[in-house]
Amino acid sequence: MRRDKRVIVIGEDVGVYGGAFKVTLGFQEEFGPWRVIDAPLSETAILGGATGAAIVGMRPVAEMQFADFISCGWDHLVTVAAKQRWRAGTPIPITVRLPSGGGFSGGPFHSQNPESSFAHIPGLKCVCPATPADAKGLLISAIEDPNPVLFFEHKHLYRRVKGEVPDERYTTPIGEARLHQEGDDLTVVTWGAMLYTAAEAAAKLDDLSVEILDLRTVMPWDKEAVLASVRKTSKVLILHEDTKSGGFGAEIAATIAEEAFADLDAPIKRIAAPDTPVPFSPPLERAFIPQVDDVVAGLRELADY
Amino acid sequence: MATARVAEPGGSLQEVRRWGLDREDLLQIYRNLMITRGVEERGHILYRQGKIPGSFYTGRGNEAAAVGIATAMGPDDVGAPLHRDMGVHITRGVEPWRIFANYMGRVDGPAQGRDGNVHMADHRLGLIAMVSHLPAMLPVAVGCALAFRIREERRVAVAWYGEGASARGDTHEGMNFAGVRKLPVVFVCDNNQWAYSTPTYLEYAVEHLADRAEAYGFDGVVVDGTDVLAVYHEARRAIEKARDGGGPTLIECQTLRMEGHAVHDDAFYVPKELFERWAERDPIERYRSWLREHADLTHEEEDEIGVQVKKLLNEALQRAEESPLPDPATLRDGVYATQDDLETPHHK
Amino acid sequence: MATGTAVDVVMPQMGVSVSEGTVTRWLKSIGDHVDADESIVEISTDKVDTEVPSPGSGTLSEILVEEGQTVEVGTLLGRIGEGPVVEAAPPPAATQPAADEAAPAASESVAAPVAPQPAPPPAQRESVETEPARELEHAGNGHDRAFVSPVVARIATEHGIDPATVPGSGRGGRVTKKDIVSFIEEGPAQTPPEATTARPEPAPRQAAQPQPRPAPAAPPTLEPGEAIEPMNAMRRGIAEHMRRSLDTAAHVTSAIEVDMSRVVAIRERLKPELQRSYGVNLTYLSFVARATVETLRDWPWVNAELRGESIVTHNYVNLGFAVALEGGKGLIVPVLKHAEGLNLLGMARGVADLAERARTKKLLPDDVQGGTFTITNPGSFGTFHGTPVINQPQSGILGTYAVVKRAWVIRDENGNDALAIRPIMNLTLTYDHRLVDGAYAGGFLRELREKLETWGETDY
Repeated sequence: MRRDKRVIVIGEDVGVYGGAFKVTLGFQEEFGPWRVIDAPLSETAILGGATGAAIVGMRPVAEMQFADFISCGWDHLVTVAAKQRWRAGTPIPITVRLPSGGGFSGGPFHSQNPESSFAHIPGLKCVCPATPADAKGLLISAIEDPNPVLFFEHKHLYRRVKGEVPDERYTTPIGEARLHQEGDDLTVVTWGAMLYTAAEAAAKLDDLSVEILDLRTVMPWDKEAVLASVRKTSKVLILHEDTKSGGFGAEIAATIAEEAFADLDAPIKRIAAPDTPVPFSPPLERAFIPQVDDVVAGLRELADY
Repeated sequence: MATARVAEPGGSLQEVRRWGLDREDLLQIYRNLMITRGVEERGHILYRQGKIPGSFYTGRGNEAAAVGIATAMGPDDVGAPLHRDMGVHITRGVEPWRIFANYMGRVDGPAQGRDGNVHMADHRLGLIAMVSHLPAMLPVAVGCALAFRIREERRVAVAWYGEGASARGDTHEGMNFAGVRKLPVVFVCDNNQWAYSTPTYLEYAVEHLADRAEAYGFDGVVVDGTDVLAVYHEARRAIEKARDGGGPTLIECQTLRMEGHAVHDDAFYVPKELFERWAERDPIERYRSWLREHADLTHEEEDEIGVQVKKLLNEALQRAEESPLPDPATLRDGVYATQDDLETPHHK
Repeated sequence: MATGTAVDVVMPQMGVSVSEGTVTRWLKSIGDHVDADESIVEISTDKVDTEVPSPGSGTLSEILVEEGQTVEVGTLLGRIGEGPVVEAAPPPAATQPAADEAAPAASESVAAPVAPQPAPPPAQRESVETEPARELEHAGNGHDRAFVSPVVARIATEHGIDPATVPGSGRGGRVTKKDIVSFIEEGPAQTPPEATTARPEPAPRQAAQPQPRPAPAAPPTLEPGEAIEPMNAMRRGIAEHMRRSLDTAAHVTSAIEVDMSRVVAIRERLKPELQRSYGVNLTYLSFVARATVETLRDWPWVNAELRGESIVTHNYVNLGFAVALEGGKGLIVPVLKHAEGLNLLGMARGVADLAERARTKKLLPDDVQGGTFTITNPGSFGTFHGTPVINQPQSGILGTYAVVKRAWVIRDENGNDALAIRPIMNLTLTYDHRLVDGAYAGGFLRELREKLETWGETDY
C-alpha cells in the first residue's frame, strides 16, 4: 500500500477496528479512511465494489470477515469477476482475503474451507499459504496478479504459527508447490493448516521417510511437482481440511490416476473432513477436522500396503 | 428526512390494559426480562470460565425490544430471531437449561451441539434457527408469510434483522416481495447503532431505517427499544394488522448495544458517553420503575421474582452441565432428511 | 479434571483465533477465599483484556501460572480447594467440558509450571477421549501375494521379471515397488531370458549365487572417436543374467543335422489349410517345438532343474521361446504353458500369440515366468550354428538354425550312395553338464531328429 496508491483495502470492520483478526490494525491511521474502507455489512457491495474499482485501475484487496460469508457475494465473484477477462477482455485484478478454517468451535458458519468451490470456477485463482514467509510472498503476488485471487488465510495460523520472514519485498509464484520435507516412502500432498498436521504425523512415524508437498496454491496447482513426487514414492496421501466429496483432493487424485497410473504401488488415499457442516461442540469438531492421529493411521496403512 | 412514525412511550396501566395486558401479564414480562438478562450474564461468566467454546454473543440492552415483540406474537405465529434476541426465545418458552446446554455444545441444546451460541430454535415453539449470514432469515420469514397467505391462515411471521444487515440485498428483496404481495410479516430492525465496529452512518444514509418501509409500500415506525411496553404496543398493532390482511410493517427498535460485538470485543470504538447515556435507560431498570409506579409492584414481589429467577437459572445451569457432550459417532447423522422429518409442527 | 472436590481455573479462549493468553494479575492469593463467579484473575489476550470469574467457591489452593506468563488456551491456571458450598458451585461432572481440554494440558502445566507452554495443537490433547468417528477407507479389497500393483507390473514387464520370484514385503506378502527395484538392483538379477517357476524359497537359491552389484562407477574418460551411453535397465539385466548363467551351469553344446524333407512336404500341405481355417501361420518352429515336447518325455533331465543337490523333474513342459525385441534393444522369453498338451495347431497358435504380444508389449507377468525348457531360433537370421546360454534355472536350451538346401548323401532304393538336394536344419542342444552328460544329450538329439525325419503324414 505504501508503494502503490492503487492498492486499497475494503471490508467490514477493517478500518477503525483493524479487522476482525487484526490483520489491518493501524492501516487506517496510516492510509486514511478512503484507502482503508469500513464497508457496510454487504458482501455484494464489497466484492462488486472491488470489481468495479479494479476495472478502472485500482488494485483492491477485499476482505470477507469470515471465508464463510463469501457465499453472500458469490454472484459477483463468479458471474462478473471470474468471467470478465475471458468474455470481455477486461481483467479484474482483485484480491479477496478470506479467514478460513476451523478448530475452535466456530460452528458451521465461521469454520469452512471453501477453496474447492472456487477452484472449480474458471477465471479464479485460489491461494492457500501455510507458512508466514509464503503468506507474504503469495499475498504480494496475489495483489500483482491481474486476475481475481482468493487468498485463504487459515485462522489457525494467524497466531499459532510463527516463522522468519524476509524484510525485503518479494513475490512467491502462484502455482508452485513447495517441498516441505523430502522423503522416499510416501508422499503427502496438502495445503494450509493441514501442513502442520501432516508434519506432526510424519514426525511420529520415525521408521518412514515421508515426503510432504505444500501445494500452496490450489488453483492453479503444481501438477508436475505432485506427479514427480508420486513417481518417486509411488504412494500418495492427499490431506485437506475441506469436506471430502468434491474437495480439491478429488481433482488431484483423479489426475494422479490418469497420468501416473503405472507409477502407483498403492491406491491413492485421501484424508479429509466428512461430508457434514462444521460442527460446534468440541468432540464433534474433533471428529470432523482431520487430526494428527488420523493422518498417522492413514500413513501407516499406506506404508503397509 | 424522516418519514416513519415515532411511537409513543408506554403509558398508564389502563392504557396497557386496553392493549390486552393484565397485571399478571405485566409481571410475566418482567420475569422474562430478568431471565433473559440472567441467562446472558451467566453465559458471559461461563465463557470466561472456559466452559463455553467458540465465541459468545449477547443482546444486552436489547432485552425489552425482544421481549416486547415476542409477547405480542400469537401462539401459532412464527419468528426468526437473531443473536440479540434471546428475549424472544425466553418469552416463547424455551427453557433456560436448554439454552445453557446449547451454549456449552451439549446434546440437550436445541442444536444438539452441532451449532452454538444462540444459533438454535425450538420449532415446536414456532422459532426458526438463525444463520450467521445476515439477514438471510428475512426472505425465509417472508416465505412463511407467503404460505400463511396462500392457505388463508390467520398467522403472522416475524423477521428480525440488524441495522448492519440492512446493507445487504436480502433486506431489499425480502421486503419488496412482502410489500408487493401484502404478506402477513412484521419486520423488526434491531438498531443497536453498531455493527461490530461499524457505526450507523457508515451503514445507511437515511435518518431512520424505518423510513425505507414507504419505499416498499408499507408503514414503518420507530420505537424506543428500551421501552418494553412501547415496543409491545407497536408490535401488537403491527401483528394484528398483518393478521387481518393489512400487510407488513417495519418496526425499528432503537437501542444501544451495551457490550462488544461478542465477548472478545471490548468495544473501544464506542464513545464512553454513549454507554453512559444509554446505561441510564437500561430496559429492565426502566420497566421495574414503571411497574413500581403504575402497577404497584411491591418489594416482596420484586424480591420473590428475583429469587425465583435466580433459582431457575441455577437449576438450569446444573441441569445443563449434566447434559452430555455429543458422541462423535453421530456426526454424520441427519445430513439428509427423511420422510419422518417432515412431521414438524411447522407443517401443521 | 476435578480431583477430589478441587475445581480448576483455566485460561479461557477469548475469541476464535486466539490461542493463548497472559495472566496479568491474580486478584486472589493462595489461601484466600473466593466465591463462585467472583473475579479471580485478570488476563490479557490479543483481542481483549478481561477478568476470569471463579468457577467455584472455596479457597484458592494452587497458582500454577504466574503473573506475566503467557500460556495456551485451556491451560490450568490454578485450583480452588474445598470451601463452603454455594449453590452455584458445579458438581464435578460439570467441569467436564473445560476439564477435558484442561486435563492433558494440566499434566503438562503441572510438570512445568514456570516455563511458558510450548504450543502443541489442541488436536493432540483430545485424541484419547474421542472414538475415531472418521472412517479411514481401507484401500483395495483383500489381496495376497499374487496381487501386483501397476508400478510393479510395469517394472516387471520392462525387465521381463516374474514378480513371483521376487520376495514381497507388502501387505499379504505382495511385491512392492521397493521390493522389485532392490531385486533388480541388488539381488541376483532376474532378467529377460529368465523364466523361472515360482518356488517357495527363492532366497537360498539367490543367496547361493551372490551377485555383488558393482558400485556405480564414475563415467569413463573418453578417447577421441569414442561416444558413450549408459546401459538401460533391461540391458543391465541381460548382462547380469548371462554372466550368472555361464558361471552357474557347465555349458556344453552338441549339434545334430536334421533332414527336414518330410517336414517341408507336410508343411506345404498343411500351411494353407491352417491359414484358411484358423488364421494360423504354420512355421518350422512349430514342428520343432511339437517334436521337442514329445522327446522331452523320454529325456526328462533336459527338462529338469538342479536345486542345491537335488534334481527336480517335471511332468509337464512349459516351453519358452526367445523373442528378440525390435532394434536390438533386448530379448524376452515368453512361455507357452503346458505345451505337452498342445498339438501342432495349438503349438503354432500359441507361439504366434506370444510372439505378437511380445512385440506389442502386451505380455502379462504370468507370460514370462515358469518355463522348464527354452527354444531359441537364431536361424531366422540365416546362421547355421550357435551356442546359446541356458535360461536359468533350466538345464537345457535348444537352438534351431536356418533350413538350408544342401547336397546330401542318401541311400537310394538300390542301397547305393547317391546325391540329393535336401533341406537341412542344424539343431543344437546346449546343456548343463552338471546334470546332463554327453550321451544323454546325444540321445535326446537323436530322438528329436528321428521324430522330425519320420514325421508321419497323419501326425499332428
